[in-house]
Amino acid sequence: MKLTHPKYKKNHTNFVLLASLLLTLNACSTVPTAQNPNSIPAKVEQLGEMSYLHVSNIAAQKRKQLLFVQAEISNSDSDNQQLFYRFKWLDANGFVIDNDEAWQPLLVYAGQKQTINGLAPTPQATDFRILVSSPDNTGNP
Amino acid sequence: MSNITSKNTVIIALSSALLFTGCANQTPNLSSGNVEYGDSKAVETLTNEFGSTDLQSIAQSMSNSLLQSPVLSAKLRPLITVADVKNHTSEYIDTKAITDTIRAKMLKSGLVRFAVDTSAMQNQTDELIRQNSGLYKKSKSKKLGQMEGADFRVEGTIASIVKRADDVKDVYYKFSLQLIDNESGVIEWADEKEIRKTSNQSMF
Repeated sequence: MKLTHPKYKKNHTNFVLLASLLLTLNACSTVPTAQNPNSIPAKVEQLGEMSYLHVSNIAAQKRKQLLFVQAEISNSDSDNQQLFYRFKWLDANGFVIDNDEAWQPLLVYAGQKQTINGLAPTPQATDFRILVSSPDNTGNP
Repeated sequence: MSNITSKNTVIIALSSALLFTGCANQTPNLSSGNVEYGDSKAVETLTNEFGSTDLQSIAQSMSNSLLQSPVLSAKLRPLITVADVKNHTSEYIDTKAITDTIRAKMLKSGLVRFAVDTSAMQNQTDELIRQNSGLYKKSKSKKLGQMEGADFRVEGTIASIVKRADDVKDVYYKFSLQLIDNESGVIEWADEKEIRKTSNQSMF
């Protein structure tokens, strides 16, 4: 089929337009939404979706060569909620360091904000993730 | 006739081989079905006696606090030794397991050093005496009188309060740790970790 023939010229143009549109739409659907690496969602790994407990704030700084992290946990429920959490530490290349930190239990009262602290095990740790779970979730540790 | 027999033998052998292969376990696991490995870092609440999560929480909290203490940052890789943590609770608790975990966590940081404690001293002196017994080359053996005295020692206590009311049992643990300057006798740092565990034994 010769698309340059006048008979097919309009069809050809339509085809190109349609293909471009499809490509654009496809590209739009596959491009991952850019997430700020320092945002709270980027630092928190949830085991299941938590209904009432949320990590509402995170602060981090180097203290004596070791990365210190403080996170604020908010309970939006009118009942007390149990949280389990642990820190995962990463080096500058994204490798997990010393992945032997234990899960810690924390009781968060109704409507309360609690803080949790973590200290990197070695000076090589430059990044972190906070793993959180609560008994209502599917992934209870 | 013998040809048929040998054919049958081959078929039986192949069938048996296939059968056994089919039955073979596909995972490198020999199990009775009653035992399985769990997560050693999981939160354990089987009973309200002292457990693995308590040990891990205390060690984590104490090592984090100690590593951030100003007195340790004032010196370059200070030398610490671990003294006793006395158990004042009514249950058996291996306090050395707690201090061993604290020491391991602190050593991993690379910011402090630890001298052998009293429990390991016998092994240390035995090794030095063995090396200086005349069996070893003098140039290759470690010399006597070269051990370093620790700048600080860590010691503490663990205490508990247990209360029962009807079916409820409440256990409160308090782990106290302090860092003492060996030369001056000054307590340079102290911290506590408290744990409360409550269980309800009601059947209904």
